[in-house]
Amino acid sequence: MVDTIKKNIKAVQENLFSSVGSSILTIVTSYLVLNFFRGMFGFVMTSDKDWLSVLNNMQLYMVQAYPEDDFIRVWLSVGLTFVFAGLSIGLWRSEDRSNVSVMFDRLFKAGLGLLFFTIVAPTYTSYMGNDGFVITEEVFSSSSRLRILIPTLVITVGFFILKNLKINFSYNNSDAVFFYLFIPVALIWVVKLPTIQLDQNRERIIPDPLMPIANSTKIPWTIIFVSFLVSYFIGMYLKDKKRVKNVMSISWFLLPLLIFSWIFKKPQIDMGEVLTGDIPIFVIFFALGLATVLLINNPIFKKYFSLYLGVLAVLTIGGLFIGIPMLGKVCLLLLSLFTVVVPAVSTSKEGKRSLIIIWFVALVTLTFLLRGGASETGIVVPGSSIFGGFSLTWLLAIFGTYVSFPLGVLLALGRNSKLPIVRIVCTGIIELVRSVPYITWLFFASVTLAVFLPAGVEFNLIIRVLMVTAFFSGAYFAENIRGGLQSIPKGQYEAADAIGMSPFQKTGLIILPQALRAVIPTLVSSAITAFKDSSLVTIIGLFDFLTIGKTVIDNQSIPVNFVGHQRENLIFVAIVYWIFTFTLSRRSMKVEKRLGLGER
Amino acid sequence: MKNTLKYLVFFRNVVFLKWAFQIVFLLGLLSIIWNYIQNAVVNLENTNIAMGWGWLGETPGVSIAEGLYTLPNSGLQMIQTGMINMFRITITGIFAATILGTFLGIARLSKNYIVEKSSTGLLEVVRNVPLLVQIYFFQALVLSFPRLEVFDVGDYFIHVSAKGLAFPWFNRGPNAFLMMVYLLAIFLISNRIYKWRVEILEREGRETRPFLWSITSLVTLFIVGWYGGFRAVGIIGFIAGYISTGLELVPAIFYQALISGVTILIGYRVTKKFIDSKKSEEAQGVFIDDDYFKIILNIVVVLLVVVLMFSSFGAGLAGFLVGDELTFKADWGLPQFFNGVENKLHWYPSIDVELEAAIDGMKKGEIINWLIEPGKKVTEGDVIATAYATGTKIDKQEIELKASHTGNVESLLIEKGKSIKVGTPFYELEVTDGAPFEYSTPKVQQIGTTKFKEYADGHGKSISVGYFAIWLGVVLYTAIFISEVVRAGIMAVSKGQSEAGMSLGLRRGALLRLIVLPQAIRVMLPPMGNQYLNLAKNTSLGIAVAYPEVVAVGQTLYNQEGQTLPVFLIWMMFYSSVSLTISSIINYYNRKMKIVER
Amino acid sequence: MSIIQAKDVKKWFGDFQALKGISMEVAEGEVLVICGPSGSGKSTFIRCINRLEQHQEGQIVVDGTELTNDLKNIETIRSEVGMVFQSFNLFPHITVLQNVTLAPIWVRKKSRSESEEKAMELLERMGIPEQANKYPGQLSGGQQQRVAIARALAMEPKIMLFDEPTSALDPEMIKEVLDAMKVLAEDGMTMIVVTHEMGFAKEVADRVMLFDDGQMVEENTPELFFDKPKHERTKLFLSQIL
Repeated sequence: MVDTIKKNIKAVQENLFSSVGSSILTIVTSYLVLNFFRGMFGFVMTSDKDWLSVLNNMQLYMVQAYPEDDFIRVWLSVGLTFVFAGLSIGLWRSEDRSNVSVMFDRLFKAGLGLLFFTIVAPTYTSYMGNDGFVITEEVFSSSSRLRILIPTLVITVGFFILKNLKINFSYNNSDAVFFYLFIPVALIWVVKLPTIQLDQNRERIIPDPLMPIANSTKIPWTIIFVSFLVSYFIGMYLKDKKRVKNVMSISWFLLPLLIFSWIFKKPQIDMGEVLTGDIPIFVIFFALGLATVLLINNPIFKKYFSLYLGVLAVLTIGGLFIGIPMLGKVCLLLLSLFTVVVPAVSTSKEGKRSLIIIWFVALVTLTFLLRGGASETGIVVPGSSIFGGFSLTWLLAIFGTYVSFPLGVLLALGRNSKLPIVRIVCTGIIELVRSVPYITWLFFASVTLAVFLPAGVEFNLIIRVLMVTAFFSGAYFAENIRGGLQSIPKGQYEAADAIGMSPFQKTGLIILPQALRAVIPTLVSSAITAFKDSSLVTIIGLFDFLTIGKTVIDNQSIPVNFVGHQRENLIFVAIVYWIFTFTLSRRSMKVEKRLGLGER
Repeated sequence: MKNTLKYLVFFRNVVFLKWAFQIVFLLGLLSIIWNYIQNAVVNLENTNIAMGWGWLGETPGVSIAEGLYTLPNSGLQMIQTGMINMFRITITGIFAATILGTFLGIARLSKNYIVEKSSTGLLEVVRNVPLLVQIYFFQALVLSFPRLEVFDVGDYFIHVSAKGLAFPWFNRGPNAFLMMVYLLAIFLISNRIYKWRVEILEREGRETRPFLWSITSLVTLFIVGWYGGFRAVGIIGFIAGYISTGLELVPAIFYQALISGVTILIGYRVTKKFIDSKKSEEAQGVFIDDDYFKIILNIVVVLLVVVLMFSSFGAGLAGFLVGDELTFKADWGLPQFFNGVENKLHWYPSIDVELEAAIDGMKKGEIINWLIEPGKKVTEGDVIATAYATGTKIDKQEIELKASHTGNVESLLIEKGKSIKVGTPFYELEVTDGAPFEYSTPKVQQIGTTKFKEYADGHGKSISVGYFAIWLGVVLYTAIFISEVVRAGIMAVSKGQSEAGMSLGLRRGALLRLIVLPQAIRVMLPPMGNQYLNLAKNTSLGIAVAYPEVVAVGQTLYNQEGQTLPVFLIWMMFYSSVSLTISSIINYYNRKMKIVER
Repeated sequence: MSIIQAKDVKKWFGDFQALKGISMEVAEGEVLVICGPSGSGKSTFIRCINRLEQHQEGQIVVDGTELTNDLKNIETIRSEVGMVFQSFNLFPHITVLQNVTLAPIWVRKKSRSESEEKAMELLERMGIPEQANKYPGQLSGGQQQRVAIARALAMEPKIMLFDEPTSALDPEMIKEVLDAMKVLAEDGMTMIVVTHEMGFAKEVADRVMLFDDGQMVEENTPELFFDKPKHERTKLFLSQIL
């Protein structure tokens, strides 16, 4: 015991007071940090803040004006995401184990921190009132301080004892996710929160005692938690099947499309169109793909294969300009790509079989998604789009990445190409797009873009924003990917040439896989930047997450007055953004470590 | 020979395919662009808005919250104000962010636990929250202070209100520019002296005390300058005056021809050098397809520039250069620029003295009688004119106007009997005396006879809420990223370097200053340049907090005029040239560093 | 009949002339060793043979196909000529087996099972069948170079080019690669080897050439080349290298 204390004192001395300069720095920084904490604490606690303006508007924050009758769709999309997460964590269950005493140690330290900050928290705080005079207010009474202090002390001591018992019990790191999720779900059944209600004069009152969280929130979350658990075990059961993992990866990619085209949207399907349009197109293209796979070894077909491919390519490009249904255009593109890979893969029986299955599934998915996406929505939101609040922020972030990434790859390849004209054009596009700030591009989308579209064609502002985001983020992605392309030694190109690969094979099989793997960390940080930048749509008047906190709630006066509570809401918005970006960057750091990229 | 055709068919020729593909690609791209332009033409015809540049010369009829021209008399002046506001943030921001970022970067490498952890904490907070949220928060923070109207009129030391911040400041007097240029010059001179002494030291191997020499010269020159020597810089203004006069004689077409000529010359030189290198004895004049393309590209670029220079674009550009006031009411020409330099950097700088409110609430003044005339000497506080003040409680109250500076009167801008607003220049003065910088504290005053209040001009420094929010936002945000660059740069310097330094007995500070930083800077420069670029671009968020930088001003303009496309083009040109400038400066230093390395 | 014919081949890099008119012939099944100081154009020459570099004047005919700008000819030659590089140039992101089967599957359009069978056979011949499912980064330099040879052989080439295959290797690994090359030569493969391994040249080569300054200085049988060189330049080179 004495030894540990001595050791700790020595560590403190080495870390904080190794020299005079270091000691001064320690004192100055501690002073600054302490004062910052006391200031923040006072700021949060003073009576001119109304944190109920945040708490009361959660629904607005998440889905803005989405009608309550259709909330089942929102819950479905959240639930599906959690089910996918459960499946994935189960499938990729890590074998790392942690010891409980490590966790107890961490909890003990957290308890110590909490104790320390409870002790140093200010009792009184001053701020300037509207009349210019300084108001001093008690923000943390000694009784409430004691009420926090004593339980914390007990728990901290408890963890200290537990930690020193040196219990030899370890748990799987992936399994701990269950525990982390269990705590909030358990808490929503117990915790009671302040709410606002109106009395008969429509005056706001805060009911006493605190109200429990509504069943409309509690029950869905509990169901989601249970399905998460179930899918986790299913994932664990399917762990050794490699094919399931591949399917899962693709499904993650398709999940947002599904959510935004079917669940969130409530498509009004015109069965007539499905029967006359979708099903014939589906049948034709499935037959074409099937024929290609079956006929590939036929000598006559082989002879005219290049011609067939050429015709398909011309049709694909031509299809963009003529008035065939969207499904037809996309199917043509898909068929061309499919036909390119058919000869290489369909060399054996099982290869052919899996190709046919893939073709079938791809066509079904495509038809399904496009029909949902192109249909009218059955959800009517007066005066604004069905996407608002956090759902819009996510939509912009995810689809922004979807559309910009492929464009970024193309631009990077173009800029790295040996063909001078292509290189000059791509360099020009990248540099021009990057040199101008995002907000000007957003203005371009909101006011100027319409000028360039054919008369009569009008896109929703969200679509227009996604169009410019494709170019803007695309240019940044392109620069990252170009870094990866440049890191690939010349020998790789030469080796691919020497074994007779075509330029497309060389790029697709040798160069791009290596280049992309080399730049995963920068790609993730670009995606994070894109997520943060999506907040700029506030300026052009879209109702994203930030707009809700900054403008909408600040203008609420009926039934409850929240005017002048921008600061609380901005802090909440900042915290939510912080949680997402911080988790994302931490995860990418872990992935980076696993790939051993940081060590190079 | 098998597989070989008698002659090479084009569709199997690699070189043909390569160029055919590229030409198809280019034509496809151009046709798409052409298609969109056609759409635009049709759409604009339908909406009856003729896109053009005429609005640049017209009075927009809106005011700007702060900046060079708060009541611009042309679209161009408005944009100019926005650009200068943008530079105010960018330039000061780059300095502040670099200093703060460097400190944070070093702090993150500190062995001190608290220093390291708290700087990392700050990094994680600032980096992971969108800049716009931070800017809005800073704005909300200042706006939550009471309105300025609740405070008493009077002097303060530091003052915060919903109107902004005010603090003590050294405000520029008429001689400030002379002094600043003088200071810059003596720094350069002492630096030169330092290098000269070091050169002698290295050549002759004797102690030459370079540091002592340079510091002595600096102090001496500073003392000389303080007692009036700084006016020597006036030679610049003197020369600028002649240049200005000379430039006004040059017609616009001269610039068009000059730029075209220079482009042709450069194009010719480059192409000829290239061809000559191919024709050397070694190369034997063998050209491949890429070489021909290079030559064609050179010719196309030169032709494009020449055509552009003799189109309306070139005429407009030349109009800027000669300061053609007929087309655009802006002081943007080269002659105007040199004229400005002449006024600000003359032996005795000349200023346009503006009418000040001599008594509270005065809005306009009407000169009754001038007591001065051109050529007359005035001392600060002398009565220069009598006037009627309007806008006060008593109509047409008679007052005396006093001289604000000591100097010689150059000309009177207002005839007597004419009424002018407060803030309008009314006579020109050649200032002969006065401190370059004057210390003052903020002052809250009434606006006219209204109940509204403002921070008085020239008393301390006051900054608006928008300026504060955007400045703090971009500086903090950029500083965090710079700290990462600095940290990575220092860590890139190998451990062996530090160990070698330590083995020489250098202390930690000296080690950092002499061994680690100079090497780290080389690694840091390119990413640092990127951060500066980001800072410049992020200032465009000023529009969110109503700070009138170039995007915000542009938006106001197109809301007024409906000219969205030209405004967008202006934004694009402006930001492209800013980016280009910053990256060329960084590239210049980068190259310089690499030369030093050899 | 000669399988490779080169006539007055010239090549420039910018204004530097790398090849100043090389003429030579290689017969089928012959092993030719090219040596010479660095920068003498020997690597450039063999890289011209499979179009990794483009010669600007002269004529190269490989197995009856002339190397021109003709797309088909280039494809044909690439599939008939295998190449082994100084720095191995294995694809690091896929396994050894995938490295070897990549070209048969994607270029030759063979089935996966067939190519894998063939690949395992080749790896066995190179003495490294147990490494098939490792990644190139986990192998030693000598093993990597043998994988590279297997990769080139998987295309069933008629001619193999070796561009200094041992100069990036540690001395103890050189032998294993040279042994693998000897096996190939004994099987009757046409080989052009750029190397400084004079022992290999003496033992295996049918002919030895010396390149200097973009020109072929000497061409001889190994015995005569090493014992009675015709040119002063050869003597100087041999004295420096041996």
